[in-house]
Amino acid sequence: MAGKSGRTISATPEKALRKAVLSWEGMLLVLFVVVNIFCKCISPVYTFTNVLREMPKYLTEIFLLFPMAYILLMGEIDISVGSIVCLAATISCIAGNAGVPFIGVLAIGLLTGTVCGMINGLLTVKFRELPTMIITLGTQIVFRGIAEIVLGDGGSISLSNADGFRAIAGKIGPFPYMFFIVLLCAVIFTVIAEKRVFGRGLYAIGSNSRTAFYSGIRVNRMLFTAYTVMGLMAGVSALFLTSATYGANTTTGKGFEMDAIAMAVFGGISTAGGKGKLIGGIISAFIIVCLRVGLGQINMNPQVILIILGALLICAVLLPNIVQSINMRKASKAKA
Amino acid sequence: MKKKVLSVILSAAMAATLLAGCGGGGQEAAAPAADASAAQEEAPAEDAAPAADDAAEAPAAGAGTYALVTKSAGNPFNEKVAEGFQSAVDEMGGTAVIQHPESATADAQITVIQSLISQGVDSICIAANDENALQAALEEAAAAGIKVCSVDSTVNVASRSVHVNQAGVTEIGQCLMDAVYDIAGGEGQWAIVSATSQAANQNAWIDAMKSIMESDSKYANLELVEVAYGDDEPQKSTDVTQALLTNYPDLKVICAPTTVGIAAAAKVLQDQGSSVKLTGLGLPSEMAEYIGDDDAHSCPYMFLWNPVDLGYLGAYTSAALVSGEITGAAGDKYAAGTMGDYEIVTAGDSGTEVILGAPFKFDPSNIEEWKSVY
Repeated sequence: MAGKSGRTISATPEKALRKAVLSWEGMLLVLFVVVNIFCKCISPVYTFTNVLREMPKYLTEIFLLFPMAYILLMGEIDISVGSIVCLAATISCIAGNAGVPFIGVLAIGLLTGTVCGMINGLLTVKFRELPTMIITLGTQIVFRGIAEIVLGDGGSISLSNADGFRAIAGKIGPFPYMFFIVLLCAVIFTVIAEKRVFGRGLYAIGSNSRTAFYSGIRVNRMLFTAYTVMGLMAGVSALFLTSATYGANTTTGKGFEMDAIAMAVFGGISTAGGKGKLIGGIISAFIIVCLRVGLGQINMNPQVILIILGALLICAVLLPNIVQSINMRKASKAKA
Repeated sequence: MKKKVLSVILSAAMAATLLAGCGGGGQEAAAPAADASAAQEEAPAEDAAPAADDAAEAPAAGAGTYALVTKSAGNPFNEKVAEGFQSAVDEMGGTAVIQHPESATADAQITVIQSLISQGVDSICIAANDENALQAALEEAAAAGIKVCSVDSTVNVASRSVHVNQAGVTEIGQCLMDAVYDIAGGEGQWAIVSATSQAANQNAWIDAMKSIMESDSKYANLELVEVAYGDDEPQKSTDVTQALLTNYPDLKVICAPTTVGIAAAAKVLQDQGSSVKLTGLGLPSEMAEYIGDDDAHSCPYMFLWNPVDLGYLGAYTSAALVSGEITGAAGDKYAAGTMGDYEIVTAGDSGTEVILGAPFKFDPSNIEEWKSVY
């Protein structure tokens, strides 16, 4: 996975090269517009209201994108989030059915997510020699396993009183509450990544974790924080997901981690760390949502939609490389 | 700068090519409206007649857009349901939208339901992956004026107008009891190989068989010696079948109302060349090699539901809901095309359902045709 965005600590001297790959985000913005025009053309019911109405399910995944981007920027990964979502949803449903007041249910959901995130963070920090892919693969299985045990034979739980969750699924005009919370998170996470020391640290660690450490960045603390926040956001995602299903089951949140990673990578964030911008991930998340909604509305086979998204993702990863190699060839020609 | 523009154009072009190439997959489901209106003109009047009086503001009955949401792609049973649904909608001159969610989860079905609400379909008929999780989405659909019914696998009472059930408990009990009677020759010992002792549907069927046996003197000479539980595990089912053969040398018939149990028992009986015969509920694809009238086969015939008919009934039920002919209340009556008249009854969960009818019989005459189906 090669460079595809402007912000790199390992500065490249070639000016032309930098310029060409500078604004991946700009291109995404254009693509976003193109996708919307395209959807509007193919689907007569592709209206603002309809898109917003179909959006909540995808928004629950976007919550995971923000901290996932942080973790990817540091060159790490977390594939356990889908399971955390499942566990947090399960535990909060159980709490709800046990008669815990709704505010308590929310707190328990968030707490469950946070604790799971802390476990990931702790393991990551304590066993730096282990790849986080493996650590979180382990916890992915463990967290979902716990959820499955808690869920028992039937494999699902339903809220006996869904009033609270019904309320958080509410809307202001056509906008679901969740939309505003996603926007708020987007702003907070972007500002931290772009304007705060923590954000600088992410890129530093992603570029070279050892150098970052010797230059005084508290690598372990940042890793722990990022994984904990990941867990917290998984809790948020779980609560909103529950507000759509009034319950949880063994498949809740399955595949969310991959969707979040796909959004980030499509947005130009390198899985090798240190490269890319969160804003790119956010734009690409909405590109994916719009495309899925539009294609869904013309009843395209969901499997075909998945193939298209996969192909787009590969294009997104390849394109900058192609542009880069064209530039290099030109540069060498110019020298000769 | 040029390169940037170039790459955007390139990616857009790639996307467009992809979409053009893949578009074919969706077209059958998207069945352009032109098709529908053409079909509508030639729709036979007698088909549409029963609903016509109530549907003053609606277009001709049956001409709407009826959606079917399956459990997932690659579910052979559901694909047959979809086939029946499609043919019924074609008959009515409507448009069928058949959607297979990307995975067998409630989440994926919610996505599909939301999209169908946007499209403003007239009805949604769904084989639910989760009984309760679809409630919010289906209530939203109902609020948008979409008629909702479930098929194959039910949704909770709050989410549906009516459930299209493949077979009622009594019908299954009666059917299996008659099969045992027939195969045993009217008298002798028989046993049941069930799934787990807590399986609600199994127990309901077994209870139904028992009460039928007690209520009619016709079955007086039949003796149910044991209900064995194979827990729907092939090995355990094999073991309990073996034990039945050892413990009851006079055993004549085994009835296994579970697809796992019947397949395991069939293999035991056939491998040992036992004279004990088998019937029950089984999958044609798994049971084909055991079904036959001669002594070399262990199972003369067995039952399961017919998924094509189930889909067909689902479509007619949707249409009747849309036209206003029925509301989904118990006692409502309507006609389902070539399958005749149906009446809605109260279901076990205090909602309502319509029952497809007696289970479908698989015997040597049709097993070849069905074994490749599901």
